[in-house]
Amino acid sequence: MNAYKMLVITMLVLSQSAFAEVAVIVNSANNNNIDGKLVKKIYLGKTKAFSDGGKVKVYTLPSSQDDTEYFRKKALKKSNSQFKSYWSKLAFTGKGTPATELDTAAEIIAAIKKDPKAIGFVNSNDVNDEVRVVLNY
Amino acid sequence: MKFISFIKLAAATSCLISMLSLAEINLSGFASINAGKVLSGTGVEHYGVPPTFLADYPIVSAYSEEWDMAPESLFGLQITADLNDGLTAIAQLVGRGVDDYSPKFEWAYLSYDINENWTVQAGRKRLPLFYYSDFYDVGYAYVWMRAPADNYTWQIFNYNGINLMYNTDLGDWSLATNLYAGKEEDKENKLLGDFFFGDTTKEIWKDMMGGVMNLSKDWFETRFTYMQYTNERDIGGEQVMWGGKDSRDGKFFGAAFNVDFDNWFILSEINRLDLEFDGNLDTNMITFGYRINNLTPFIVYSSMKQKGDGVIDGENHNTTSVGLRWDFHDAAAFKIQYDDVKDNSHDFAVAGDSKSLSFGVDLVF
Repeated sequence: MNAYKMLVITMLVLSQSAFAEVAVIVNSANNNNIDGKLVKKIYLGKTKAFSDGGKVKVYTLPSSQDDTEYFRKKALKKSNSQFKSYWSKLAFTGKGTPATELDTAAEIIAAIKKDPKAIGFVNSNDVNDEVRVVLNY
Repeated sequence: MKFISFIKLAAATSCLISMLSLAEINLSGFASINAGKVLSGTGVEHYGVPPTFLADYPIVSAYSEEWDMAPESLFGLQITADLNDGLTAIAQLVGRGVDDYSPKFEWAYLSYDINENWTVQAGRKRLPLFYYSDFYDVGYAYVWMRAPADNYTWQIFNYNGINLMYNTDLGDWSLATNLYAGKEEDKENKLLGDFFFGDTTKEIWKDMMGGVMNLSKDWFETRFTYMQYTNERDIGGEQVMWGGKDSRDGKFFGAAFNVDFDNWFILSEINRLDLEFDGNLDTNMITFGYRINNLTPFIVYSSMKQKGDGVIDGENHNTTSVGLRWDFHDAAAFKIQYDDVKDNSHDFAVAGDSKSLSFGVDLVF
């Protein structure tokens, strides 16, 4: 019985991660037009604001999570180590501040709900209607 | 009296604590643990230099025919105090194997974001001459064991001054520019004193003024740099004179072009230092690399050549290198590199010809 339960859970988890996408989210009051190019520029520290001004607050999940690796590969065309290498150049020369890392999707959603200038990404299964989804990868 | 001092101290301490509590303090850092040796080399007999591979000129990272871990190993710690509203204070301490790991402040500056486009910084920073100059110590940020030694030869690599940065979008392109001004007075210059002149050398670069412009778009990036300065030098307590003057002017020009397409990349730099009484010192570099999952093999050619009026047998050396970077961990890379150096000058020979092997691990945290 237990083994069966485990199997079902494992299969559920596997199927979730196999079909899940990553959603880029912003505050629901943020009406800026945000496309893939802008997401890429924001996460690479090249653009620091949305078109209506004010500094963007960028959030990320930890490198160790699959969603992070997937997002970097799809949206930024960089592996984890390429991403880290790129950012270490900016962070150690005073040219940029890396994204703030939060451990869970719930924490990212909570932070974005509070801040109209925030952007983040979470697994699309974790999205709720408290935030606005601008892109899916 | 003592009591009053105590109160003063207590007041000062509580002030300090409340100041600290306003700032969010972040620690980050980088390290390189490298080893290397000269497999074969000529040295420079007429200057009494044994077979040597000078892997880093400014800090004199010199490998000999014995395995050595000291020349290029280093440990760096960055402290970032975020004081909110765009104000940050940043310091970087670096301990190097060549200095027995005694830490030194390489960077110590304030940074203020005026708005999302403009940032002003003041304090001690790296001199952004070449493309890799300001993150030279962060091996993890580039593919090679080190930025090509023939290019990164200038004895002054920091400045104390101000830096104004401007970033913006130009359609699909991103523009990042900075303008800076400052001075550096190095009382005991390591490269000139220890390696070239054999006597304590004070090296001053003053009235430095420069600018950098970086344009990038997806897979293409180009960077242009210019800097001018006035040089004064003092060897063994005696002022160096150039053509009857106690100073001379230098102008540095450079361009870098990087292409990163799928798994291929090309990195290149062309630079010139036009230095009074030394002619033109040209430094060039080209790298080809290819990523295969976590492995990145690469090949590099770099050169330095001195030209100009009255320069007959100027500094002239080049290096051909092959190597491999292996990203075995998300925050650490193993690298191995073979360097073949040709030193073609007699009078301005640096370390002679050499063939060397070096390897190590670079990491960031």
